[in-house]
Amino acid sequence: MSADDTNETGEEPRHPYETDESFHPLGAEWEDSMRQKLEETEFDADLGMQMARDAQRLVAGELTEEEFYAAYHDDVEEEFAVDERAIFDDIDAVDTDVEDESVLEALSGVDFENEDVSRREMMKKMGAGAAFLGYGAYATFDSQDDDEHIPEDIRGIRPADENERKHRWGMVIDLERCDGCLACVTGCINENGTSTGANWMYVFAYENEDADQRNFLVRPCQHCSNAPCAKVCPVRARHTRKKDGLVLTDYETCIGCRYCQVACPYGVNYFQWGEPDVPMEEIMHLDELDDGRPATPENVRSLDFDERNRQLAEVEDHVYDEDGRWVDSRPPQGTMGKCTMCPSRQDEHTESHGPKGTVACMDACDEAGMSVIHFGDLDAEVGDDYDRAVRYLERRKEVEENPRDKRDRFDDPEDYENPPAPHGTSELNTFRLLEDLNTQPNVIYIGNEPGPNAEQVEGPVSYSSISNDWGVEVKDNRKEHLDYFSDGGGLMARDEEDDE
Amino acid sequence: MATKESTPDDIVRPLNNTSKWWYIAFGVTAAISLAWLTIYGYQLDRGLAVTNLSDWGSGGGVTWGLYIGAFIWWVGIAHGGIILSAAVRLFGMKKYQPVARVAELLTIAALAMAGLYILVHMGRPDRVVTSVLPSYPWTVQTSPLAWDITVITLYFVMTATYLGLTIRYDAARLGDKIPWYLTPLYSVITIGYTKAEDEIVERMVWWLALGIIVMAPLLLHGGVIPWLFSVLGSMPGWQGAVQGPQFLSIALTSAISGVIIISFLLRRAYDWEHIITEDVFRGLTMWLGLFGLLFVWLQLQQVINAVYAAGVSAERVMLATISHPVYIMAIGLMLVVLGYIFAQAVKPSVFSIPRSLIAALAVLWATLTEKILFVVEGLQYPDFSLYGGVPGAYFPSFVEMSSVVGTIALCTLIFLVILKVIPVVELHAVEEHAHGEEGGHSETTHDTDEPGGAVATDGGPTAAADTVQTYDEEVSTTDHDAGTGSDREVTDR
Repeated sequence: MSADDTNETGEEPRHPYETDESFHPLGAEWEDSMRQKLEETEFDADLGMQMARDAQRLVAGELTEEEFYAAYHDDVEEEFAVDERAIFDDIDAVDTDVEDESVLEALSGVDFENEDVSRREMMKKMGAGAAFLGYGAYATFDSQDDDEHIPEDIRGIRPADENERKHRWGMVIDLERCDGCLACVTGCINENGTSTGANWMYVFAYENEDADQRNFLVRPCQHCSNAPCAKVCPVRARHTRKKDGLVLTDYETCIGCRYCQVACPYGVNYFQWGEPDVPMEEIMHLDELDDGRPATPENVRSLDFDERNRQLAEVEDHVYDEDGRWVDSRPPQGTMGKCTMCPSRQDEHTESHGPKGTVACMDACDEAGMSVIHFGDLDAEVGDDYDRAVRYLERRKEVEENPRDKRDRFDDPEDYENPPAPHGTSELNTFRLLEDLNTQPNVIYIGNEPGPNAEQVEGPVSYSSISNDWGVEVKDNRKEHLDYFSDGGGLMARDEEDDE
Repeated sequence: MATKESTPDDIVRPLNNTSKWWYIAFGVTAAISLAWLTIYGYQLDRGLAVTNLSDWGSGGGVTWGLYIGAFIWWVGIAHGGIILSAAVRLFGMKKYQPVARVAELLTIAALAMAGLYILVHMGRPDRVVTSVLPSYPWTVQTSPLAWDITVITLYFVMTATYLGLTIRYDAARLGDKIPWYLTPLYSVITIGYTKAEDEIVERMVWWLALGIIVMAPLLLHGGVIPWLFSVLGSMPGWQGAVQGPQFLSIALTSAISGVIIISFLLRRAYDWEHIITEDVFRGLTMWLGLFGLLFVWLQLQQVINAVYAAGVSAERVMLATISHPVYIMAIGLMLVVLGYIFAQAVKPSVFSIPRSLIAALAVLWATLTEKILFVVEGLQYPDFSLYGGVPGAYFPSFVEMSSVVGTIALCTLIFLVILKVIPVVELHAVEEHAHGEEGGHSETTHDTDEPGGAVATDGGPTAAADTVQTYDEEVSTTDHDAGTGSDREVTDR
């Protein structure tokens, strides 16, 4: 586990412009080299640096755009004979969310090397053939801020940088508390209406080679920050939300090639091979818009953001995310499904039964009195909103602290009053699954990792014995179930052809 | 060594004469194709639930199976075909010119089948255009499947260009020998043709061939197709840089086998013993041996590397693979074929064209089953191996298996139709052939065309005369066209 999960430095990070030594996030050295570059030009280096400093303040919201514009208008006109910076009607070009713009980016309005070629113009200037090849290299090289070129309906494959995203949803799962009751599996099925054998939440019972003890491994989707499934998808149906790192499937664009399933090292994907067991009518979803139009995905997306989310929340919709993408609940026939970490909850559409910062499996686990699953924002620090996962991990670390360290610490009464945050001396075992594959999974396990020769064994509760709200049969071995239908008899669990 | 002079009339014979065998072959392949399309319709209606595929993981199955294995197989045949044809043009291997166009046509037909398999494999084939195109500029940067689509399209275009360019020469000269109903088509093909373009076209084709040969290991079956598997971290059975060369060796062996089979059928059906000579078959057999040896060698590399001291999961998948009956059969067949090829190289009298035909069929069966097993075993033994509690053995369902028969029938059908539209042996070949006979032309061309070529040609004449006679008797009355299609169905099943 790395330090970024817990953010152990208690200090509030200060924005660079607040410090005296350098306003630039990359430090004084970088700033000096930028100044040198400016001085090599025929223009006023002091003015340039002053503007850059204020541009940083502008980006941080310290200065308004009007102030910034007004402060430099005369200077810029004097220096460059014309002020070509964006004026107010056209201010959209300034991306105020981006905090770590480099000096050069901030100064991009100033033509200090007479090369006023924006990326957009550059693209236009490339020939058709060159654009195809060139753009690939260009975007890969500079992928952080190419958002402006990507149409809104093309999703990304990575969460945004830590300072740009709102959350990084994930889980801390305390395997030492799990008794294999499968309450989480039931909770998940009730929430999402998945078909027989599509156990989005799955609990292994296993034994290691040299021990008789039965262990458990709770396996939701790991919602990787470097998700192989999203990378390989040929249509970007499988995508990673920039704002909170959830890895979801757009059921409307998925072509059912199953490459995501093949690329995922955890085996968390479940394809909808036939007609879903739970028909669409039974899943809570927006049926008709307020203006009377049917709630097709297209129509839902045509609403503006606030209006769309108001209407979705009104009916406690469990299908659309905040952008009007069909990503939640069980998939339709021919597309891929998997654990979603409940996006309709995280987008605040289902406040009454599932508020933001909760997931169905965690609720079920808590109800069963086990509290194994702790969902939350892994970027959060203890005390922030949605800190349940990180808070739980901190607590467990403290409890598991090395006894000698604990004794040493409390020798000094002052420390006792004000104990420092526990550091690496904790003896708590934590791991992430297959971390060496660099998928950067967002599920942190407390307990022991299964050994390389661990074998799955019968659990205390069998999958076929659990019941759910939909009356859908639950099974462990989905293949057996599916193969039964493949005999050509067409015996779908519910033979309702017209339910889409 | 030909018993008679080859003439342009020989190569247009399929266009002008149609025997009852052609109609029978057409009827049978059309019926099989339609039957399979009906079965596919059933799959469209019911969803992929009619396959025996399932979810890997707690589902206890494999999510890719026969469809993907057969897809790789068809792509391999296609890519190998175009590589063969390009090599003939690039290295001046004149001996094989009579089968160069067969290889190109095989590429087109096999690529079409591969493309069809992509659709058949998909859960929502109706979205293939609407979903792939909008995001293509971004997915092509990250998704090996998007690279695949790109490469298949690219090769379809290159092969079609290739074929389109070379056919103009023929079409312009054969105009008076073709049936009347083809005249409009030929006048479209030869639009704006002048003799001055021949030289230019030849140069263009040479460059195209160079491009294909250079890109073969980089982008074709030596690159993009194996990357579909080898770049993933999830399945140890698929990993390793050896997959590139391994796939390429499979492509080449499969394609040579395909060319041998088609050449055999054409030769029988149209009295082409003097065009597709025994020498051509001997040469193709030797090449099959060379690439077959590569295939077996690379298999050995994988096995030894995985079972000696590799990680737990890599060893597990390899042990399961090498003890699998399908694998043993595939490698066993390859070894028998190699044994035959080695024996006929040492002792030319061991060679016979029917034996080479059987070898070709065996190789195609071996490569198909090996590739399906590669896909299935890979998924059955993932890196994350805790799912052992819900094991499931994959065996393709009837719907899946019917697709192999169906696509072979469809591919044959395409060939049968092409036979009636364009000459499948290029005019150059019969012209060159005549030259070779008169002036000993073949001595002056690059003789890079065949491993151990000297042995084959030395021992050739007697054996060749024998075989040719046999076939002469059989086909003396009428040319029974590719009777052929149906034969293949039976043998391949």
